[in-house]
Amino acid sequence: MNNKKMLATMAGFAVVALSLQACSATGGENNGDAVDGSGKSLNVLIAANTLYPTEQQSWFDDVSAKFEEETGATVEFETFASANDELTRIQTSVLSGQGPDVYSLGTTFTPTAYSTGAFVTLGDEEWEKVGGRDKFVPASLGISGPDEANEIGVPLASRPFALAYNTELLAEAGFDAPADSWDGLLEQAKAMTHDDQYGMAVAYADNFNPWKFIWTMSLQAGNPLVVDGEATLDDPTTVEAYRTYFEWMTVDKVVDPSSVGWQTAQAVAAFADGNAAFLPMTSATSAVTFDKSAVAGKYAYATMPLIAPGETSAPQGAIEAATIISGDNIVVANYSPNQDLAFAFIKMLTDPEQQEIYFNTFGEMPTNAEAAETIQSENELLAPLLDAGAQSVGTPFSGAWGDVQLALGNVVVQLIPAIASGAVSDAQIEDQLKSAQESAQSALDRAK
Amino acid sequence: MSLAIRSTRARTRRSREDVVMRLLPRPLMVSIVVFLLLVVLIPILYIFMASINSDVSIVRGDFWPRDISFTNYVDIWSTVQLGKGLINSVLVAGSVAIVSAFLAVAMAYVLVRYQFFGRLTILRALLALQSIPGTLILLPVFVLFSSISTIIGVQIIGTRGALFVTYLTFALPFSTWVMVTYLRGLPRELEEAARIDGASSWTILTRIIVPLSWPGIVVSGIFAFLLGWNDVLFASVITNPSTRTVAVSLQIFGATAEGGAVPIYGQMMAASLVCAVPVVVLYLVFQRYLVGGLTAGGVK
Amino acid sequence: MTVTTAQSDRRIDPETDDAAGGGTQLRRKKTRGLDKRNRPLWMLAPGGVLMVLVIVIPVLLAVFISLLDLDQYSLREWIRAPFIGVQNYVEAATRSSMFHAVWLSVSYSVLVAIITLPVGVAAALAAQNRFRGRGFVRSVFLIPYILPAFVVGTVWRTMLQPGGVVNSLLETVGIDGGLWLNGPQSYWALVLVQAWSSWPFFYLLVLSGLQAVEAEVHEAAALDGAEWWTKLRYVVFPYLKGPVALAAIISFLHNINSFTLPFVLFGVPTPYDVEVLPLLTYLSSFQSFRFGLSAAMAVFSLALIAIPLAIYLRAVKLDTGDEGHKK
Repeated sequence: MNNKKMLATMAGFAVVALSLQACSATGGENNGDAVDGSGKSLNVLIAANTLYPTEQQSWFDDVSAKFEEETGATVEFETFASANDELTRIQTSVLSGQGPDVYSLGTTFTPTAYSTGAFVTLGDEEWEKVGGRDKFVPASLGISGPDEANEIGVPLASRPFALAYNTELLAEAGFDAPADSWDGLLEQAKAMTHDDQYGMAVAYADNFNPWKFIWTMSLQAGNPLVVDGEATLDDPTTVEAYRTYFEWMTVDKVVDPSSVGWQTAQAVAAFADGNAAFLPMTSATSAVTFDKSAVAGKYAYATMPLIAPGETSAPQGAIEAATIISGDNIVVANYSPNQDLAFAFIKMLTDPEQQEIYFNTFGEMPTNAEAAETIQSENELLAPLLDAGAQSVGTPFSGAWGDVQLALGNVVVQLIPAIASGAVSDAQIEDQLKSAQESAQSALDRAK
Repeated sequence: MSLAIRSTRARTRRSREDVVMRLLPRPLMVSIVVFLLLVVLIPILYIFMASINSDVSIVRGDFWPRDISFTNYVDIWSTVQLGKGLINSVLVAGSVAIVSAFLAVAMAYVLVRYQFFGRLTILRALLALQSIPGTLILLPVFVLFSSISTIIGVQIIGTRGALFVTYLTFALPFSTWVMVTYLRGLPRELEEAARIDGASSWTILTRIIVPLSWPGIVVSGIFAFLLGWNDVLFASVITNPSTRTVAVSLQIFGATAEGGAVPIYGQMMAASLVCAVPVVVLYLVFQRYLVGGLTAGGVK
Repeated sequence: MTVTTAQSDRRIDPETDDAAGGGTQLRRKKTRGLDKRNRPLWMLAPGGVLMVLVIVIPVLLAVFISLLDLDQYSLREWIRAPFIGVQNYVEAATRSSMFHAVWLSVSYSVLVAIITLPVGVAAALAAQNRFRGRGFVRSVFLIPYILPAFVVGTVWRTMLQPGGVVNSLLETVGIDGGLWLNGPQSYWALVLVQAWSSWPFFYLLVLSGLQAVEAEVHEAAALDGAEWWTKLRYVVFPYLKGPVALAAIISFLHNINSFTLPFVLFGVPTPYDVEVLPLLTYLSSFQSFRFGLSAAMAVFSLALIAIPLAIYLRAVKLDTGDEGHKK
């Protein structure tokens, strides 16, 4: 808490310290030294931070105060709670041509937002206004648009997924680091499963977590899931991915039997209690929970395995995806009358000072290369997460991706009773994948 | 002395009446009451227990809290923004309750006392309108509001006014229906007398009908209030942070954003309880009207 | 207090009795024509305008949207979205899980009505007679019905989660609760939670119905020396036919449209076993951006509701009150 307060104070000093030269003067016509937004206010829609609600509130105030200092305009933040909320807000705003000026979107929603055509495409001029495209970590730009000429999203924060492990349990079992293949990881997990302790904590019933495993494993086995508008969800590699994921529970028994009903939070809690050796597919935000828990000082992060299940080295055509590109992108609405202000605002948030404040407040990784470097050098624990971020791969950039993702997640949701009963047959997986493939393909066919 | 006798007599009369009126044998009655009390109270008790419990203990499935703490009740005011939500909900739902009840009396008065073309159609429509699924008209309502707002150049979406109009309209069919049934039961003699004295329709409505219809007005007001209090679907797209209702605040709090935070069950339960208290109190205060008012027939 | 209530109830009741065709037209007053002079029709205007604007026009808009190919690609200029006629309806009928959802919605609504009816009737019978603490009992019985659906959903979701309090209580009596929020059992979870929160509605309506049973009727039954069961069966129940039928239809309509409870209880993606029609409609528009398809499904569900609604409208005889002047 005190740290947070100090940060807020520091942010205040930063305001004074920061030069008011906001936008580069080389760009377009109305770029003065700073955008003049006196008396105006910029509406920003951003995800509600359920982990740090009070900190987020004061961050809002600080950012707005600072922005007012720079441009004369205030910032009105508006929050959305869930992916659903987010979609509904985008839809209604697009439909009505009114709403927030600036949206902070989960990366996987960027393609959907792009497909509506309601957000400003970032040309050279716009990139200049936010401080240049090259100030960002290159991998974080991977899901900003279908190609470099048609980008809409400016990366704000990165939340790469990685593997958290309990250093004490690993040391006890004689391992010095997590394996780099899924099979190896499973063997280690087996060795560490005994009594009330499990090798892994996995949230099978989470709405967002499971499909990421399938996606990662499929890519690593050489199946990108969507190629040129064709879905390949019924490919054997995907069946294998699901089988591996389910067998941790049904065959290998390296996860808590009750995790069949877990959401991410419960998996995090199980790891935090010291009851699990590995927590795959987690982000830096979990560190906050761990530091207050039984595993404080006894955990570390690593990139997730890069070698597909059933393989000992990366097969032909494998895509070495450590994680999806995860985090938040900022987009500016076409209908916004305050676009210059919007870009000035984005510039402010993606400059090193604010990026570091953002990291220190919320534990989310910077997308600004300079800030990322600072943090990497100062923070050993989180360095692997930045590595993972550098090895991240974007989900396919298609307006239909939302449906593909939904279909992938749905397979798990519908098979949960089978997992709970202790056996999932290949036929069951194939059956579910068949309908997933159909719905994914029909969504892709509709894509324009 | 005589007083005592009278009261004894009253008591015997009463107990005889009780025996005559009795519907169920005592043991059966008692077991039904006890059983249903348990069915209702155990979950309610759990909400309270969970609200003073720790999150970990809730996940473990404990009924009784391990370590009791009331901090959740303090925390929710800052994390859920309950205060603002409660104020918005009271403002919107409260004004909907009052306005809809009075609009409903006027409409019901015309529908019950006057004959005109289309009267039956309107009565039928009042019932039919109640069964329109919210998911069907959510988007169209939004489109409509935003188009109107573009045409007249005034911000509509995000204002309490927009929410007020929406709920008011949704409440009207049921409120009017309650009043129609209520007014039908009112004797007409007073009205007739007033009319002979030359009173206008407006005078009759305000001086005679309204004062006689308080029970019905209260019932239709309460249902309108609840409608506004409980809705999540429309409020989630029509409001913005400063006009958000408590239902939406709670729903937002309950939903965890992508990336996975630890759900704060204890606070969720505490907030649920706080959200429920105003409506429960409202109901209980006006309970005696409800038994009658509900017979009118409508949807929760 | 109680007496006042009873009286005010009685004032309302004739309508309901008649409405439900209960056959008790004892207190019906002499028929009188409705007024045709000086009709203050303007009093209908404010409400009428609102209802047309906020309900009727949006429904028509929804019907229009159901004929469009409206999705994320055409959303921005929705008015120019391609007109595709009944294609959305064809797709809904042939290539979506709409009929599955319809079956779920209908069967679950019927089940809930079947479960809550006897509970509600029993509760009303038990709470009708005077006893110490009756006020308290009557208040408590109302609580599940008053609790907002999102609160009910949140609370039961927490209680029903694996390892949650429901399963740990079941465990103490040796039952393995299994999964409530996924798989086949989730259907029963939905039925039970909905039943928990909606039985007081039957209770309320039946309780109101009971107020219409005059003391003389009880006296007569007592004089005949009727057993409690005989009295219920032949004397009291006929009075309740109306309110119960009404409650059944209303509860059916309510459950068919119920969105918040399953949405909060199960989240999205929803288990196939509880993908009821309102959820499916919501998901296909707000998750998959298929607004046209979703509108087509919703219009279909409106047609579905029209059936019980028609029965409802027939049951509630609109114009047989004391003014009963129908041509």
